[in-house]
Amino acid sequence: MKLRRFNRVHILQLIVLLIFTLFPLTGNDYLTVQLTQYMVYGIFAMSLSLLWGYAGILCFGHAIFFGIGAYVMALITKGMVPGFTGFLASTWIGLLLAVVSVAFFAFVLGYFLFYGRLSGPYLGIVTLAISVILERVAVNWDYIGGFNGLTEVPALTFFGWEVRDMYPLFYFILAVGLAVYLFCDRLMRSPLGTTLAAIRDNETRAEFFGYNSANYKILIFCIGASVAALAGALFATVTEFVSPTIIGFGFSTEVLIWVALGGKEVLLASFLGAVVVRILEAFLSDLLTYYWIMILGLFFVVCVMFFPRGIFGSLLSERK
Amino acid sequence: MDLSVLILNSLNYILVLILVAMGLVIIFGLMRVINMAHGEFFLLGAYTVVMTDQAGLGFWSGLVLAPIFVGLIGMAIEYIVIRHLYQRVLDTILATWGLSIAIKQFIIILFGPAGLMIKPPLPQMVSFMGIEYPSYRLFIMAVALITIGLTFYVFLKTDFGLGARAVIDNRDMAAVLGINTRRMYRTTFTFGSALAGLAGAVMGPLMSCDPQMGLGFFIPAFLAILTGGTGTLSGVLVGGGAVGGADSLISFIYSPVISQIVVFSMVIVVIRVRPQGLLGSRSGR
Repeated sequence: MKLRRFNRVHILQLIVLLIFTLFPLTGNDYLTVQLTQYMVYGIFAMSLSLLWGYAGILCFGHAIFFGIGAYVMALITKGMVPGFTGFLASTWIGLLLAVVSVAFFAFVLGYFLFYGRLSGPYLGIVTLAISVILERVAVNWDYIGGFNGLTEVPALTFFGWEVRDMYPLFYFILAVGLAVYLFCDRLMRSPLGTTLAAIRDNETRAEFFGYNSANYKILIFCIGASVAALAGALFATVTEFVSPTIIGFGFSTEVLIWVALGGKEVLLASFLGAVVVRILEAFLSDLLTYYWIMILGLFFVVCVMFFPRGIFGSLLSERK
Repeated sequence: MDLSVLILNSLNYILVLILVAMGLVIIFGLMRVINMAHGEFFLLGAYTVVMTDQAGLGFWSGLVLAPIFVGLIGMAIEYIVIRHLYQRVLDTILATWGLSIAIKQFIIILFGPAGLMIKPPLPQMVSFMGIEYPSYRLFIMAVALITIGLTFYVFLKTDFGLGARAVIDNRDMAAVLGINTRRMYRTTFTFGSALAGLAGAVMGPLMSCDPQMGLGFFIPAFLAILTGGTGTLSGVLVGGGAVGGADSLISFIYSPVISQIVVFSMVIVVIRVRPQGLLGSRSGR
């Protein structure tokens, strides 16, 4: 019985991979371009799933990490940071600094929050407040583009090769997505993942076993934030554009909905949640205009009430 | 601006903030439910006034209608959604969040995303203590003070309040002693929503009513609760005073953006040093 379930999940995972790999062959260029962007959102969704589904940290302002990552990437590669020219303004340094600076920010924030014994709802609202404030800062800070954001962010460039064309970019993002997935999946199967699950299920009990839960939470908070920053940095280069909305409250809400609808306890389900909701949105928001968001919000409520594991969650889960 | 005007304006903001925060803290203290739609209840209160204003019924009928209307909506939401989620505290946050998105979008569909103005109900200025001050702002302060006082009276002096405080202290024990916690939850949620609706209605004429205004009060209100602690009602007074006062003062001296950052950092530090809030006891959660 156990073996069959295991197999089924693996087959489904391979089918998903196959669909994404073969998708550009359909020749639908518009959707291929869109899908490239949606996969970046999917990576972002996986980073939230890591925090929320696996470690039980409900982060309501997850876009802060995505947004900071995107802005750092844009500022570095556009050469807008004083002293960062030549190689220091390359894609490599941009990606590195986006991830490292966000990890550091998450560490400081996590230190305050988790040692302040903030959990559940409190944590959610505090991160929410940060994202609202950062959005206002970004809107009012003219050097980083103010309300209009930064345009003409250079494309990803590796060893003089610009990843700008549709197909290379698609497969590059797909490869990064796969790598992130494999990394996170491996991480959650490691002893760290087990410890985090123990803390999520019963923090007091885990502490009695001698685990310093705050330290573990800070660690996973940093990892989740770094993955979000990577997604943000990719987003900046893929869309060649960053604006205050991607750091703010609205976008934080969106990713939360993607992950909740997809299934927060399974990485791939969160990824699919983001991609599917965005595809639906592309088709339905023209049709339903303002009603789309209202329907999405109500659907979210229904999902929370009746399908807490999400739409793809139970399908792709190895556990019963 | 005159110093006394600044102080009065700050007081005005603080009192309304306390009104919003009090609804939140009652709901949270009693039910352990974080009502993410609280800002939208504020919004609904303000738009009730917009509606009566547009329908030609004027501001005053809206002011009376808003708490009743929003309270009823709160009761319905408790019955349809929240009642089913009492065992899953984290999920109530998500569900009320989803509701807040839907309500906000509903308002946008009905009234459009732009800001709407309400005709000022009391345009006269009053002069006292040697300054000219809008009488409507004095009216807001009076309404807020009376409501806050009444809430304290209900929670400290009546049988209902005694029962409610028993539930806050020890929910299971209270239930064993024969308090109908279910009914208490519904009353509380309705009452908390009505408070937010009233706050929205009185603030409506002062600001331009736009669909994002709820969030602008929800976040400071929540920060006020974090600062003051959730165990007691008086924590809200301290928290609201600290957050609201610091916010108005720093916005006046520097800018609203800087004040948000400073107030927020202040709250983070308070949480780090005193996780139970300024007034909370050690045993409080």
